[in-house]
Amino acid sequence: MALLEIKNLNAGYGDLRVLRDVSMEVNEGEIVAFLGSNGAGKSTFMRTIVGLNRAWSGDVIMNGKRLTNSPSEKIIKSGIGIVPEGRRLFAGMTVTENLEMGAYCNRKDIRRRMDSIFQSFPRLYERKDHLAGDLSGGEQQMCAIGRALMSEPKILLIDEFSLGLAPTVVDSLTKVVQDINRQGVSILIVEQDVQMVLEMSSRAYVMEVGAITISGNSKDLIDNPKIKEAYLGM
Amino acid sequence: MIILQILINGLLLGAFYALIGIGFSLVWGVTNIINLSHGAIALLGAYLTFFLFQTFRLDPFLSIPVSFIAMFSFGYLLQRYLMNFVVKAQIFMLLILTFGLEIFLVNFMTTFFSADFRSVTPSYAGNSLVLGSIVIPYIRLAVFSICVIIAVAMALFLDKTWPGKAIKATSLDIEASMMSGINPAKIYALTFALGSGLAGVSGTLLTLTQAFSPSIAGGLTLRAFIVSILGGLGRIEGALIGGLLLGVLETFSSYLIGESYKNAIAFGLMVLVLIVKPSGLMGRKYYAEVKH
Ligand SMILES: Nc1ncnc2c1ncn2[C@@H]1O[C@H](COP(=O)(O)OP(=O)(O)O)[C@@H](O)[C@H]1O
Ligand SMILES: [Mg+2]
Repeated sequence: MALLEIKNLNAGYGDLRVLRDVSMEVNEGEIVAFLGSNGAGKSTFMRTIVGLNRAWSGDVIMNGKRLTNSPSEKIIKSGIGIVPEGRRLFAGMTVTENLEMGAYCNRKDIRRRMDSIFQSFPRLYERKDHLAGDLSGGEQQMCAIGRALMSEPKILLIDEFSLGLAPTVVDSLTKVVQDINRQGVSILIVEQDVQMVLEMSSRAYVMEVGAITISGNSKDLIDNPKIKEAYLGM
Repeated sequence: MIILQILINGLLLGAFYALIGIGFSLVWGVTNIINLSHGAIALLGAYLTFFLFQTFRLDPFLSIPVSFIAMFSFGYLLQRYLMNFVVKAQIFMLLILTFGLEIFLVNFMTTFFSADFRSVTPSYAGNSLVLGSIVIPYIRLAVFSICVIIAVAMALFLDKTWPGKAIKATSLDIEASMMSGINPAKIYALTFALGSGLAGVSGTLLTLTQAFSPSIAGGLTLRAFIVSILGGLGRIEGALIGGLLLGVLETFSSYLIGESYKNAIAFGLMVLVLIVKPSGLMGRKYYAEVKH
Protein backbone atom coordinates (compact mmCIF):
# COMPACT_ATOMS: atom_id res chain seq x y z
CA MET A 1 0.00 0.00 0.00
CA ALA A 2 1.23 3.48 -0.82
CA LEU A 3 2.20 5.70 2.11
CA LEU A 4 0.90 8.86 0.46
CA GLU A 5 -1.64 8.56 -2.31
CA ILE A 6 -3.11 11.40 -4.33
CA LYS A 7 -6.13 10.74 -6.54
CA ASN A 8 -7.55 13.12 -9.15
CA LEU A 9 -6.60 16.21 -7.22
CA ASN A 10 -7.91 19.54 -8.52
CA ALA A 11 -7.09 22.89 -6.98
CA GLY A 12 -6.43 26.52 -7.88
CA TYR A 13 -6.74 30.15 -6.92
CA GLY A 14 -10.05 31.93 -7.35
CA ASP A 15 -11.20 31.02 -10.84
CA LEU A 16 -7.75 29.89 -11.94
CA ARG A 17 -7.53 26.13 -12.09
CA VAL A 18 -3.95 25.06 -11.45
CA LEU A 19 -3.98 21.33 -10.65
CA ARG A 20 -5.75 19.11 -13.17
CA ASP A 21 -6.66 15.62 -11.99
CA VAL A 22 -3.30 14.94 -10.45
CA SER A 23 -2.78 11.35 -9.33
CA MET A 24 0.42 9.99 -7.89
CA GLU A 25 1.79 8.04 -4.97
CA VAL A 26 4.80 7.73 -2.74
CA ASN A 27 5.64 4.38 -1.18
CA GLU A 28 7.31 3.77 2.12
CA GLY A 29 11.06 4.43 2.00
CA GLU A 30 11.06 5.95 -1.49
CA ILE A 31 12.56 9.14 -2.82
CA VAL A 32 10.24 10.48 -5.52
CA ALA A 33 11.15 13.43 -7.73
CA PHE A 34 8.54 15.91 -8.88
CA LEU A 35 9.62 17.89 -11.94
CA GLY A 36 8.14 20.65 -14.00
CA SER A 37 8.96 24.09 -15.31
CA ASN A 38 8.24 27.29 -13.43
CA GLY A 39 4.56 27.90 -12.87
CA ALA A 40 3.58 24.30 -13.61
CA GLY A 41 1.86 23.97 -10.24
CA LYS A 42 4.39 22.01 -8.17
CA SER A 43 4.25 24.29 -5.15
CA THR A 44 0.48 24.50 -5.37
CA PHE A 45 0.44 20.70 -5.35
CA MET A 46 2.53 20.49 -2.17
CA ARG A 47 0.57 23.25 -0.46
CA THR A 48 -2.69 21.51 -1.27
CA ILE A 49 -1.44 18.25 0.22
CA VAL A 50 -0.72 19.89 3.59
CA GLY A 51 -3.95 21.85 3.62
CA LEU A 52 -2.65 25.35 2.91
CA ASN A 53 -4.69 25.49 -0.28
CA ARG A 54 -8.19 24.09 -0.60
CA ALA A 55 -8.61 21.08 -2.84
CA TRP A 56 -11.53 21.53 -5.24
CA SER A 57 -11.94 17.79 -5.61
CA GLY A 58 -9.97 14.58 -5.33
CA ASP A 59 -8.31 12.68 -2.50
CA VAL A 60 -5.23 13.06 -0.36
CA ILE A 61 -4.75 9.75 1.40
CA MET A 62 -2.06 9.23 4.01
CA ASN A 63 -1.55 5.76 5.43
CA GLY A 64 -5.01 4.78 4.20
CA LYS A 65 -6.72 7.79 5.83
CA ARG A 66 -8.43 10.40 3.67
CA LEU A 67 -7.15 13.82 4.71
CA THR A 68 -8.40 16.04 1.88
CA ASN A 69 -9.06 19.55 3.18
CA SER A 70 -8.44 18.56 6.79
CA PRO A 71 -6.92 21.28 8.99
CA SER A 72 -3.13 21.41 8.47
CA GLU A 73 -2.74 20.59 12.14
CA LYS A 74 -4.24 17.16 11.50
CA ILE A 75 -2.31 16.59 8.28
CA ILE A 76 1.03 17.39 9.90
CA LYS A 77 0.13 15.12 12.82
CA SER A 78 -0.59 12.28 10.41
CA GLY A 79 3.10 12.21 9.54
CA ILE A 80 3.61 14.65 6.66
CA GLY A 81 6.37 17.22 7.00
CA ILE A 82 7.03 20.06 4.59
CA VAL A 83 10.08 22.16 3.74
CA PRO A 84 8.36 24.96 1.85
CA GLU A 85 9.56 27.01 -1.06
CA GLY A 86 11.41 30.03 0.29
CA ARG A 87 12.09 28.24 3.62
CA ARG A 88 9.56 30.32 5.56
CA LEU A 89 11.43 30.29 8.87
CA PHE A 90 10.22 32.30 11.85
CA ALA A 91 12.71 35.09 11.25
CA GLY A 92 12.34 36.74 14.66
CA MET A 93 12.91 33.51 16.58
CA THR A 94 16.14 31.66 17.26
CA VAL A 95 17.22 28.47 15.48
CA THR A 96 16.38 26.46 18.59
CA GLU A 97 12.94 28.04 18.83
CA ASN A 98 12.29 27.35 15.15
CA LEU A 99 13.13 23.68 15.71
CA GLU A 100 10.91 23.60 18.79
CA MET A 101 7.99 24.98 16.82
CA GLY A 102 8.46 22.11 14.37
CA ALA A 103 7.74 19.76 17.25
CA TYR A 104 4.61 21.65 18.29
CA CYS A 105 2.26 18.78 17.60
CA ASN A 106 4.63 16.01 18.71
CA ARG A 107 6.45 17.13 21.83
CA LYS A 108 7.83 14.06 23.46
CA ASP A 109 11.54 13.43 23.24
CA ILE A 110 12.33 16.83 21.79
CA ARG A 111 15.89 16.87 23.12
CA ARG A 112 16.82 13.65 21.40
CA ARG A 113 15.39 14.76 18.07
CA MET A 114 17.03 18.13 18.29
CA ASP A 115 20.36 16.49 19.07
CA SER A 116 20.09 14.27 16.04
CA ILE A 117 19.29 17.26 13.84
CA PHE A 118 22.28 19.13 15.24
CA GLN A 119 24.33 16.03 14.48
CA SER A 120 23.25 16.13 10.83
CA PHE A 121 23.85 19.90 10.71
CA PRO A 122 26.78 20.80 13.00
CA ARG A 123 26.71 24.29 11.52
CA LEU A 124 23.20 24.76 12.83
CA TYR A 125 24.35 23.83 16.33
CA GLU A 126 26.91 26.62 16.26
CA ARG A 127 24.16 29.04 15.31
CA LYS A 128 21.49 27.69 17.62
CA ASP A 129 20.97 30.92 19.57
CA HIS A 130 20.98 33.20 16.53
CA LEU A 131 17.81 34.61 15.02
CA ALA A 132 16.79 32.56 11.99
CA GLY A 133 16.52 35.76 9.96
CA ASP A 134 20.24 36.41 10.46
CA LEU A 135 21.39 33.05 9.03
CA SER A 136 22.92 32.51 5.59
CA GLY A 137 20.77 30.90 2.89
CA GLY A 138 22.30 27.47 3.40
CA GLU A 139 21.91 27.64 7.17
CA GLN A 140 18.31 28.73 6.76
CA GLN A 141 17.65 25.75 4.53
CA MET A 142 19.19 23.44 7.14
CA CYS A 143 16.95 25.03 9.76
CA ALA A 144 13.88 24.58 7.53
CA ILE A 145 14.69 20.91 6.98
CA GLY A 146 15.37 20.48 10.69
CA ARG A 147 12.10 22.15 11.64
CA ALA A 148 10.15 19.82 9.35
CA LEU A 149 11.92 16.78 10.81
CA MET A 150 11.10 17.78 14.38
CA SER A 151 7.58 16.39 14.02
CA GLU A 152 9.09 13.00 13.07
CA PRO A 153 7.29 12.79 9.73
CA LYS A 154 6.96 9.56 7.79
CA ILE A 155 7.17 11.55 4.58
CA LEU A 156 8.94 14.80 3.88
CA LEU A 157 7.85 17.14 1.09
CA ILE A 158 10.75 19.34 -0.06
CA ASP A 159 10.09 22.28 -2.38
CA GLU A 160 13.14 23.64 -4.25
CA PHE A 161 15.61 23.47 -1.41
CA SER A 162 18.60 24.28 -3.65
CA LEU A 163 17.25 27.61 -4.86
CA GLY A 164 19.89 30.33 -4.54
CA LEU A 165 22.44 28.12 -2.78
CA ALA A 166 26.07 27.44 -3.73
CA PRO A 167 26.67 24.02 -5.37
CA THR A 168 28.79 22.77 -2.46
CA VAL A 169 26.03 23.64 0.00
CA VAL A 170 23.50 21.89 -2.22
CA ASP A 171 25.72 18.80 -2.30
CA SER A 172 25.94 18.56 1.45
CA LEU A 173 22.21 19.17 1.88
CA THR A 174 21.54 16.45 -0.68
CA LYS A 175 23.62 14.00 1.34
CA VAL A 176 21.63 14.84 4.46
CA VAL A 177 18.36 14.32 2.61
CA GLN A 178 19.59 10.90 1.49
CA ASP A 179 20.59 10.10 5.08
CA ILE A 180 17.16 11.09 6.29
CA ASN A 181 15.69 8.76 3.70
CA ARG A 182 17.91 5.89 4.79
CA GLN A 183 16.53 6.37 8.31
CA GLY A 184 13.13 5.45 6.88
CA VAL A 185 11.57 8.77 5.90
CA SER A 186 9.99 8.84 2.44
CA ILE A 187 10.82 11.92 0.37
CA LEU A 188 8.88 13.80 -2.27
CA ILE A 189 11.17 16.39 -3.75
CA VAL A 190 10.54 19.27 -6.17
CA GLU A 191 13.72 20.53 -7.74
CA GLN A 192 15.00 22.66 -10.62
CA ASP A 193 18.24 20.67 -10.82
CA VAL A 194 16.68 17.79 -12.74
CA GLN A 195 19.89 15.80 -13.21
CA MET A 196 20.53 15.81 -9.48
CA VAL A 197 17.07 14.68 -8.36
CA LEU A 198 16.79 12.03 -11.04
CA GLU A 199 20.03 10.58 -9.74
CA MET A 200 18.92 10.55 -6.11
CA SER A 201 15.32 9.38 -6.63
CA SER A 202 13.86 6.02 -7.56
CA ARG A 203 10.82 7.34 -9.40
CA ALA A 204 9.75 10.66 -10.88
CA TYR A 205 6.70 12.54 -12.11
CA VAL A 206 6.71 15.41 -14.58
CA MET A 207 4.02 18.06 -14.29
CA GLU A 208 3.11 20.37 -17.17
CA VAL A 209 0.50 23.10 -16.71
CA GLY A 210 -0.97 21.37 -13.71
CA ALA A 211 -1.24 17.85 -15.11
CA ILE A 212 1.14 14.92 -14.83
CA THR A 213 2.37 14.07 -18.32
CA ILE A 214 5.29 11.73 -17.74
CA SER A 215 6.05 9.32 -14.93
CA GLY A 216 8.34 6.39 -14.42
CA ASN A 217 11.60 5.12 -12.98
CA SER A 218 14.17 7.87 -12.63
CA LYS A 219 16.81 5.77 -14.38
CA ASP A 220 14.61 5.52 -17.44
CA LEU A 221 13.62 9.17 -17.36
CA ILE A 222 17.24 10.33 -17.50
CA ASP A 223 17.38 8.75 -20.96
CA ASN A 224 13.92 9.92 -22.01
CA PRO A 225 14.38 12.19 -25.06
CA LYS A 226 11.61 14.56 -23.98
CA ILE A 227 13.16 15.05 -20.57
CA LYS A 228 16.61 15.43 -22.07
CA GLU A 229 15.39 18.16 -24.33
CA ALA A 230 13.13 20.04 -21.96
CA TYR A 231 14.97 19.78 -18.64
CA LEU A 232 18.49 18.56 -19.12
CA GLY A 233 19.26 20.89 -22.02
CA MET A 234 20.70 18.16 -24.21
CA MET B 1 8.87 69.02 44.67
CA ILE B 2 5.57 69.39 42.84
CA ILE B 3 7.35 68.26 39.67
CA LEU B 4 8.44 65.04 41.37
CA GLN B 5 4.93 64.46 42.68
CA ILE B 6 3.50 64.92 39.19
CA LEU B 7 6.10 62.59 37.74
CA ILE B 8 5.22 59.92 40.28
CA ASN B 9 1.50 60.38 39.65
CA GLY B 10 2.20 60.07 35.93
CA LEU B 11 4.15 56.85 36.32
CA LEU B 12 1.46 55.37 38.56
CA LEU B 13 -1.19 56.19 35.99
CA GLY B 14 1.09 55.08 33.16
CA ALA B 15 1.47 51.52 34.42
CA PHE B 16 -2.30 51.19 34.23
CA TYR B 17 -2.23 52.51 30.66
CA ALA B 18 0.50 50.01 29.87
CA LEU B 19 -1.65 47.14 31.12
CA ILE B 20 -4.66 48.16 29.08
CA GLY B 21 -2.35 48.69 26.09
CA ILE B 22 -0.62 45.30 26.33
CA GLY B 23 -3.75 43.29 25.61
CA PHE B 24 -4.82 45.61 22.82
CA SER B 25 -1.39 45.62 21.22
CA LEU B 26 -1.06 41.85 21.44
CA VAL B 27 -4.40 41.29 19.71
CA TRP B 28 -3.63 43.87 17.04
CA GLY B 29 -0.11 42.58 16.42
CA VAL B 30 -1.04 38.91 16.21
CA THR B 31 -4.54 38.74 14.77
CA ASN B 32 -4.57 42.07 12.94
CA ILE B 33 -7.78 43.01 14.71
CA ILE B 34 -7.98 46.58 16.02
CA ASN B 35 -10.37 45.80 18.83
CA LEU B 36 -12.47 48.91 19.32
CA SER B 37 -14.36 47.14 22.10
CA HIS B 38 -11.24 46.72 24.23
CA GLY B 39 -12.23 49.55 26.59
CA ALA B 40 -15.76 48.18 26.91
CA ILE B 41 -14.38 44.75 27.80
CA ALA B 42 -12.21 46.40 30.45
CA LEU B 43 -15.34 48.04 31.83
CA LEU B 44 -17.08 44.66 32.00
CA GLY B 45 -14.25 43.67 34.32
CA ALA B 46 -14.78 46.87 36.27
CA TYR B 47 -18.50 46.25 36.70
CA LEU B 48 -17.90 42.63 37.64
CA THR B 49 -15.56 43.87 40.37
CA PHE B 50 -18.09 46.50 41.44
CA PHE B 51 -20.84 43.89 41.58
CA LEU B 52 -18.76 41.45 43.65
CA PHE B 53 -17.76 44.23 46.01
CA GLN B 54 -21.32 45.51 46.47
CA THR B 55 -22.91 42.10 46.82
CA PHE B 56 -20.31 39.97 48.58
CA ARG B 57 -17.92 42.61 49.91
CA LEU B 58 -15.21 40.87 47.90
CA ASP B 59 -11.98 42.86 48.09
CA PRO B 60 -11.28 44.35 44.62
CA PHE B 61 -7.74 42.97 44.61
CA LEU B 62 -9.17 39.49 45.12
CA SER B 63 -11.46 39.86 42.14
CA ILE B 64 -8.45 40.23 39.80
CA PRO B 65 -8.36 36.50 38.99
CA VAL B 66 -12.16 36.43 38.70
CA SER B 67 -12.08 39.25 36.16
CA PHE B 68 -9.26 37.64 34.26
CA ILE B 69 -10.95 34.26 33.97
CA ALA B 70 -14.36 35.74 33.14
CA MET B 71 -13.07 38.07 30.42
CA PHE B 72 -10.61 35.46 29.13
CA SER B 73 -13.52 33.07 28.57
CA PHE B 74 -15.64 35.81 27.05
CA GLY B 75 -12.81 36.75 24.67
CA TYR B 76 -12.15 33.14 23.72
CA LEU B 77 -15.76 32.47 22.78
CA LEU B 78 -16.00 35.77 20.94
CA GLN B 79 -12.97 35.03 18.79
CA ARG B 80 -13.67 31.34 18.24
CA TYR B 81 -17.30 31.72 17.27
CA LEU B 82 -17.54 35.23 15.84
CA MET B 83 -14.29 36.91 14.87
CA ASN B 84 -12.61 33.85 13.34
CA PHE B 85 -15.25 33.85 10.65
CA VAL B 86 -14.38 37.33 9.51
CA VAL B 87 -10.71 37.44 10.38
CA LYS B 88 -9.71 37.20 6.74
CA ALA B 89 -12.09 40.02 5.87
CA GLN B 90 -10.89 43.50 5.13
CA ILE B 91 -9.64 45.54 8.02
CA PHE B 92 -12.64 47.85 7.58
CA MET B 93 -15.08 44.99 8.19
CA LEU B 94 -13.24 44.05 11.37
CA LEU B 95 -13.39 47.63 12.58
CA ILE B 96 -17.13 47.75 12.02
CA LEU B 97 -17.57 44.46 13.85
CA THR B 98 -15.60 45.50 16.93
CA PHE B 99 -17.23 48.93 16.86
CA GLY B 100 -20.65 47.25 16.86
CA LEU B 101 -19.55 45.10 19.76
CA GLU B 102 -18.44 48.16 21.70
CA ILE B 103 -21.83 49.82 21.21
CA PHE B 104 -23.58 46.66 22.28
CA LEU B 105 -21.47 46.24 25.42
CA VAL B 106 -21.80 49.90 26.42
CA ASN B 107 -25.58 49.70 26.05
CA PHE B 108 -25.63 46.45 27.97
CA MET B 109 -23.72 48.00 30.87
CA THR B 110 -25.84 51.14 30.81
CA THR B 111 -28.97 49.02 31.03
CA PHE B 112 -27.76 46.86 33.89
CA PHE B 113 -25.64 49.29 35.88
CA SER B 114 -27.04 52.67 34.73
CA ALA B 115 -25.03 55.52 33.26
CA ASP B 116 -24.06 56.82 36.72
CA PHE B 117 -20.43 57.07 37.71
CA ARG B 118 -19.48 54.34 40.18
CA SER B 119 -16.50 53.72 42.37
CA VAL B 120 -15.26 51.01 44.67
CA THR B 121 -13.85 52.19 47.97
CA PRO B 122 -12.44 49.54 50.27
CA SER B 123 -11.78 50.55 53.91
CA TYR B 124 -8.07 51.12 53.29
CA ALA B 125 -8.68 53.50 50.38
CA GLY B 126 -7.45 56.61 52.20
CA ASN B 127 -4.04 55.32 53.38
CA SER B 128 -0.94 56.78 51.81
CA LEU B 129 2.78 56.50 51.89
CA VAL B 130 4.13 59.92 52.88
CA LEU B 131 7.74 60.80 52.05
CA GLY B 132 8.32 64.41 53.01
CA SER B 133 5.99 66.36 50.76
CA ILE B 134 5.43 63.41 48.39
CA VAL B 135 2.21 61.48 48.92
CA ILE B 136 1.64 58.08 47.31
CA PRO B 137 -1.64 56.29 48.04
CA TYR B 138 -0.92 52.65 48.87
CA ILE B 139 -3.64 51.52 46.51
CA ARG B 140 -2.02 53.26 43.57
CA LEU B 141 1.32 51.80 44.51
CA ALA B 142 -0.23 48.32 44.59
CA VAL B 143 -1.95 48.88 41.24
CA PHE B 144 1.33 50.03 39.76
CA SER B 145 3.16 46.95 41.04
CA ILE B 146 0.49 44.59 39.79
CA CYS B 147 0.59 46.14 36.31
CA VAL B 148 4.36 45.79 36.13
CA ILE B 149 4.26 42.21 37.43
CA ILE B 150 1.62 41.25 34.87
CA ALA B 151 3.65 42.84 32.08
CA VAL B 152 6.72 40.85 33.07
CA ALA B 153 4.66 37.68 33.39
CA MET B 154 3.19 38.21 29.91
CA ALA B 155 6.65 38.72 28.41
CA LEU B 156 7.83 35.50 30.04
CA PHE B 157 4.72 33.67 28.87
CA LEU B 158 5.34 34.71 25.26
CA ASP B 159 9.03 33.87 25.42
CA LYS B 160 9.08 30.65 27.40
CA THR B 161 5.88 28.65 27.05
CA TRP B 162 4.53 26.53 24.19
CA PRO B 163 1.36 28.56 23.66
CA GLY B 164 3.34 31.78 24.00
CA LYS B 165 5.85 30.78 21.36
CA ALA B 166 3.06 29.54 19.13
CA ILE B 167 1.45 32.99 19.37
CA LYS B 168 4.76 34.53 18.36
CA ALA B 169 5.25 32.06 15.52
CA THR B 170 1.74 32.61 14.19
CA SER B 171 2.18 36.36 14.15
CA LEU B 172 5.52 36.01 12.35
CA ASP B 173 4.28 33.72 9.57
CA ILE B 174 0.84 32.22 9.70
CA GLU B 175 1.43 29.70 6.89
CA ALA B 176 4.72 28.55 8.36
CA SER B 177 2.94 28.05 11.66
CA MET B 178 0.33 25.89 9.92
CA MET B 179 3.12 23.84 8.37
CA SER B 180 4.44 23.28 11.89
CA GLY B 181 1.11 21.85 12.98
CA ILE B 182 -0.15 24.96 14.76
CA ASN B 183 -3.84 25.74 14.33
CA PRO B 184 -4.04 29.52 13.83
CA ALA B 185 -7.75 29.61 14.69
CA LYS B 186 -6.95 28.32 18.16
CA ILE B 187 -4.00 30.67 18.51
CA TYR B 188 -6.13 33.64 17.49
CA ALA B 189 -8.77 32.64 20.01
CA LEU B 190 -6.12 32.29 22.72
CA THR B 191 -4.64 35.67 21.83
CA PHE B 192 -7.99 37.42 21.86
CA ALA B 193 -8.82 35.67 25.13
CA LEU B 194 -5.58 36.87 26.70
CA GLY B 195 -6.15 40.39 25.43
CA SER B 196 -9.65 40.40 26.89
CA GLY B 197 -8.48 38.83 30.14
CA LEU B 198 -5.86 41.55 30.53
CA ALA B 199 -8.51 44.16 29.72
CA GLY B 200 -10.69 42.67 32.44
CA VAL B 201 -7.86 42.92 34.97
CA SER B 202 -7.19 46.52 34.01
CA GLY B 203 -10.92 47.17 34.54
CA THR B 204 -10.66 45.76 38.05
CA LEU B 205 -7.67 47.97 38.80
CA LEU B 206 -9.51 50.93 37.30
CA THR B 207 -12.21 50.65 39.96
CA LEU B 208 -9.56 51.20 42.63
CA THR B 209 -8.19 54.41 41.20
CA GLN B 210 -11.02 56.30 39.59
CA ALA B 211 -14.76 56.59 39.15
CA PHE B 212 -16.15 54.98 36.03
CA SER B 213 -19.26 54.77 33.90
CA PRO B 214 -20.02 53.04 30.59
CA SER B 215 -19.27 56.32 28.83
CA ILE B 216 -15.52 56.10 29.41
CA ALA B 217 -15.14 52.94 27.26
CA GLY B 218 -14.02 54.91 24.22
CA GLY B 219 -11.46 56.89 26.21
CA LEU B 220 -9.92 53.65 27.49
CA THR B 221 -9.72 52.21 23.99
CA LEU B 222 -8.07 55.39 22.77
CA ARG B 223 -5.41 55.10 25.49
CA ALA B 224 -4.80 51.46 24.55
CA PHE B 225 -4.50 52.48 20.91
CA ILE B 226 -1.98 55.20 21.65
CA VAL B 227 0.11 52.92 23.87
CA SER B 228 0.22 50.32 21.07
CA ILE B 229 1.37 52.86 18.53
CA LEU B 230 3.99 54.24 20.91
CA GLY B 231 5.35 50.84 21.86
CA GLY B 232 5.15 48.99 18.57
CA LEU B 233 2.61 46.25 17.98
CA GLY B 234 2.75 43.09 20.03
CA ARG B 235 5.70 44.25 22.11
CA ILE B 236 5.22 43.94 25.84
CA GLU B 237 8.21 46.05 26.87
CA GLY B 238 7.18 48.59 24.25
CA ALA B 239 3.68 48.85 25.70
CA LEU B 240 5.15 49.26 29.17
CA ILE B 241 7.33 52.17 28.10
CA GLY B 242 4.58 53.64 25.91
CA GLY B 243 2.13 53.46 28.82
CA LEU B 244 4.46 55.13 31.29
CA LEU B 245 5.27 57.85 28.77
CA LEU B 246 1.61 58.51 28.07
CA GLY B 247 0.80 58.59 31.79
CA VAL B 248 3.55 61.09 32.57
CA LEU B 249 2.74 63.27 29.58
CA GLU B 250 -0.95 63.35 30.38
CA THR B 251 -0.39 64.17 34.02
CA PHE B 252 2.03 66.98 33.20
CA SER B 253 -0.19 68.48 30.54
CA SER B 254 -3.17 68.37 32.89
CA TYR B 255 -1.13 70.33 35.40
CA LEU B 256 0.34 72.80 32.94
CA ILE B 257 -2.43 73.40 30.41
CA GLY B 258 -5.50 71.94 32.04
CA GLU B 259 -7.37 68.68 32.29
CA SER B 260 -9.47 69.25 29.18
CA TYR B 261 -6.50 69.22 26.78
CA LYS B 262 -5.08 65.86 27.77
CA ASN B 263 -6.83 63.92 25.00
CA ALA B 264 -5.49 66.34 22.43
CA ILE B 265 -1.98 66.07 23.85
CA ALA B 266 -2.09 62.27 23.83
CA PHE B 267 -3.34 62.31 20.29
CA GLY B 268 -0.66 64.76 19.21
CA LEU B 269 2.00 62.53 20.73
CA MET B 270 0.71 59.57 18.78
CA VAL B 271 0.66 61.46 15.49
CA LEU B 272 4.19 62.65 16.14
CA VAL B 273 5.43 59.10 16.69
CA LEU B 274 3.61 57.86 13.59
CA ILE B 275 5.38 60.49 11.53
CA VAL B 276 8.84 60.23 13.05
CA LYS B 277 9.08 56.55 13.92
CA PRO B 278 6.17 54.54 12.49
CA SER B 279 7.43 51.27 13.99
CA GLY B 280 7.01 52.64 17.50
CA LEU B 281 9.49 54.05 19.98
CA MET B 282 11.12 50.68 20.47
CA GLY B 283 12.36 50.65 16.91
CA ARG B 284 12.34 47.46 14.89
CA LYS B 285 9.09 45.59 14.96
CA TYR B 286 9.85 42.42 16.75
CA TYR B 287 7.28 39.88 15.78
CA ALA B 288 4.33 41.81 14.62
CA GLU B 289 3.85 43.83 11.52
CA VAL B 290 0.91 45.92 10.51
CA LYS B 291 -0.66 43.83 7.79
CA HIS B 292 -3.05 45.26 5.27
N1 LIG C 1 -1.26 32.83 -4.36
C1 LIG C 1 -1.55 32.71 -5.68
N2 LIG C 1 -2.60 33.37 -6.22
C2 LIG C 1 -2.91 33.25 -7.52
N3 LIG C 1 -2.22 32.49 -8.38
C3 LIG C 1 -1.16 31.80 -7.92
C4 LIG C 1 -0.77 31.88 -6.54
N4 LIG C 1 0.31 31.09 -6.37
C5 LIG C 1 0.58 30.56 -7.59
N5 LIG C 1 -0.29 30.98 -8.52
C6 LIG C 1 -0.32 30.56 -9.91
O1 LIG C 1 -0.46 29.17 -9.95
C7 LIG C 1 0.35 28.61 -10.96
C8 LIG C 1 1.25 27.57 -10.36
O2 LIG C 1 2.15 28.17 -9.46
P1 LIG C 1 3.12 27.30 -8.55
O3 LIG C 1 2.36 26.22 -7.91
O4 LIG C 1 3.85 28.23 -7.68
O5 LIG C 1 4.11 26.68 -9.64
P2 LIG C 1 5.55 26.04 -9.49
O6 LIG C 1 5.79 25.79 -8.05
O7 LIG C 1 5.48 24.79 -10.29
O8 LIG C 1 6.53 27.01 -10.06
C9 LIG C 1 1.09 29.77 -11.60
O9 LIG C 1 0.42 30.12 -12.77
C10 LIG C 1 0.99 30.87 -10.59
O10 LIG C 1 0.97 32.13 -11.22
MG1 LIG D 1 7.29 26.50 -6.85
